[in-house]
Amino acid sequence: MSVADVSKPAGTAWRGLNAPLMVLVGSVALYVGVALWTGQTKMLETDGILGLLQRMVALGIVALGQTFTILAGSIDLSVANLISVAAVLASFIMQGRTEMMLPAVGVVLVVSAIVGVVNGALISWLQVNPLIATLGVGLILQGMLSASFTDFAGSVPREFQAVAYGSFGVVPYSVAALFVLAAVASIVLRATRFGAHLYAVGGNAEGARLAGIRTDLVTIGAHVVCSLAAGVTGLYLASRLRSGAPWIGRDGVYDLESIAVVVIGGTLLAGGRGGVWGTLAGVLLFASLDAAFNMMGVSAYPKLVLRGAIVIAAVAVYTVRTRGHVA
Amino acid sequence: MKSAALALEMHNITKTFPGVLALDDVSFGCARGEVHALCGENGAGKSTLIKILGGAYQPDAGTIRIDGRDVAFSHPVAARKAGISIIHQELSLLPFRTVAENIFLGIEPTRYGALDRRRMRVESERLLRRLGSSITPEALAGDLSIAQQQIVEIAKAFAIEARILVMDEPTAALDRADASRLLDLVRRLSSEGVSIVYISHRMPEIQAVADRVTVLKDGRAVMTAPLAEAPTSRLIHAMVGRDLAEFYPPRSSRPPGAEALVIRAASSRHLRGVDLAVRAGEIVGVAGLEGSGKNDLARAISGDEPFETGTMEVDGRTVVARSPRAAIGAGLGRLSDDRKREGLLMQQSLRDNAALTLRAFAGLLRSPTAEPMSSAATDRRLKQLDVRAASFEQEVRLLSGGNQQRVIIARWLARDLEVLIFSEPTRGIDVAAKAAIYRIMRDLADRGRAILMISSDLPEIVGVSDRIIVMREGAVAGELPGGASEEDVMALAVEQGQSPHALLQ
Repeated sequence: MSVADVSKPAGTAWRGLNAPLMVLVGSVALYVGVALWTGQTKMLETDGILGLLQRMVALGIVALGQTFTILAGSIDLSVANLISVAAVLASFIMQGRTEMMLPAVGVVLVVSAIVGVVNGALISWLQVNPLIATLGVGLILQGMLSASFTDFAGSVPREFQAVAYGSFGVVPYSVAALFVLAAVASIVLRATRFGAHLYAVGGNAEGARLAGIRTDLVTIGAHVVCSLAAGVTGLYLASRLRSGAPWIGRDGVYDLESIAVVVIGGTLLAGGRGGVWGTLAGVLLFASLDAAFNMMGVSAYPKLVLRGAIVIAAVAVYTVRTRGHVA
Repeated sequence: MKSAALALEMHNITKTFPGVLALDDVSFGCARGEVHALCGENGAGKSTLIKILGGAYQPDAGTIRIDGRDVAFSHPVAARKAGISIIHQELSLLPFRTVAENIFLGIEPTRYGALDRRRMRVESERLLRRLGSSITPEALAGDLSIAQQQIVEIAKAFAIEARILVMDEPTAALDRADASRLLDLVRRLSSEGVSIVYISHRMPEIQAVADRVTVLKDGRAVMTAPLAEAPTSRLIHAMVGRDLAEFYPPRSSRPPGAEALVIRAASSRHLRGVDLAVRAGEIVGVAGLEGSGKNDLARAISGDEPFETGTMEVDGRTVVARSPRAAIGAGLGRLSDDRKREGLLMQQSLRDNAALTLRAFAGLLRSPTAEPMSSAATDRRLKQLDVRAASFEQEVRLLSGGNQQRVIIARWLARDLEVLIFSEPTRGIDVAAKAAIYRIMRDLADRGRAILMISSDLPEIVGVSDRIIVMREGAVAGELPGGASEEDVMALAVEQGQSPHALLQ
């Protein structure tokens, strides 16, 4: 065999476990640093930290779902619109009545799953480019929603508000739910056939198909997971805002931000490498950034600039690291 | 016309990639007005040498001189500025832009800051006339024939006043009349003082057009000689030359077993009435020219582009393979001829790659120790196949071609398949690794698998196969026993009147 058969994998370790870790350390340093610097040590106590974690919930749940589509080599631009649909649908069906909670949640999840199937089917069966397919579906959803509702529609009962405001002791339900969902997602990716197939399809869809994997079902599955995550986020926002409005998803820029945090977390935009813990670290970074700017009392716009710069820097660093020696 | 000054000199060029020594101390030169043919098998290092000349790669060692002056190209633009133009096999014209726009791509003349379209048109016209072509500069490049596009590519080279022209298999996609016109043009350009590096596998072309020939083999320049001293037989020997007896594993002495794969009267869009049978323990080689249907046969059997009519049996069971998954389920596996595009998950580990087929058929949940997902079983297979890597967690893209191929073989061994189809099993793999792949195939056959080897590599077909099936125009043209001569295979593969040397590509 020739010279370089045992060539060192240049910087492989960086992208596996360490990318999330780097982002995590950076976020914590930012948050703690700014808290100390501005003298707001209260922010480092339980309440402050729980507040920080609560900032993560909405973006965190969507981004967990987005991680699945991106790992599969796809992407979902319809999540923001689906979040609005889910929130409005939930509060409209509930109309403040406790007994309608369960039906509303059921309807939202079913609708979300259908949107996921439609997205996935467009991409895998009709071979529509994922950006275009999900952009189109998102526009259709938003159009139907805006045609039917112009303002906050209905309301959620007090019991449903517990989703956002209730807690186990000091830990809010929502924060606990985010981490439980992340753990479940991580297990699905690591320990199930679906997870293994997801990485395979993202790594080389044609190779996976020729090896006998039903790549179309994998893509559809990833989109169903992503849409369900968006639906759950919509439910959470309806609970937090006590009602749903047709613009809440768009206002949160959940489509682009969810993609950004997945990428910051070290998942390859091309698919096939990455995971949910990196994504959560990315979400934490954005939450820390928000908190830091709040503590400093600076307006929100420089924050946007910084977010953009971080996304670009992260991708550039990963790309350079990935390139290694292979041309 | 030839002047003593060498227009191009490349001295002692060495280039390594992870896993391969691509060029080993190669020297190459081209005088003004000389046509210097460069030939060698796939993977011999031709394209690496050309990429270094064109500035796409930087050599690890060695020097390049243009007209006697040392140069170092850090970028393709630098090479172009030095007067080097490379016409790649895949033409790179923008199909929806005009001929003139293509010719002046990146060097558009301007007048008062605006594009000077008139000058582009006039200049293009002049360049095209000089090449003896009547293409109009306003035509869209996509509307031209391949031969005409090639002329435009050459015009493009002269738009930057190239003095060294590299042509990479320029006649590969041309019919005979166009090819001979192109050869005339090459001769005319060289008589005008252009230095031409002409890459081709086609011996008659080299004999017709070259002044000198260099043969690359396994990254070394094994021969450089004036054409008069390089008859075709010597060139082929230099390209292939090795001790074939040692290279190919001995055939099995045991008689083959029962028929493992039987195909009857099978047809599809590209295949007509294919009948064939492969027995357990046998390696059957499938040869044929490009477009003969040999690759379509592999795709059809493996369910990628299934047969439309006819029957297929595996171990006596009738099988309908409508998809790769169904084919694998029925005991048919195929190793693709395109490892990169259709095989490997480049950025994932050896283990993930080797476990792929197993995982495709795994149960819903994978437990860390159960067979489908177990890395212990995967590791065992990788070790059996002698995969060399720093670690099995290493990304597969960092391996050499030979080791990558072993990882894919490991993937297919994970399921106990009756029939394995190897498409171009040693494409882009260095010589030592080739021999190892042959041994693995022979070993698999000895253990009772039926092996169908689709290959464009004639020595490989003749050296490895127990039986040889030759395809032509989508049908089986004939069958030969193992050890048949390359000439016998060619005779079956070529249509009447076609040059047997076409097979060498």
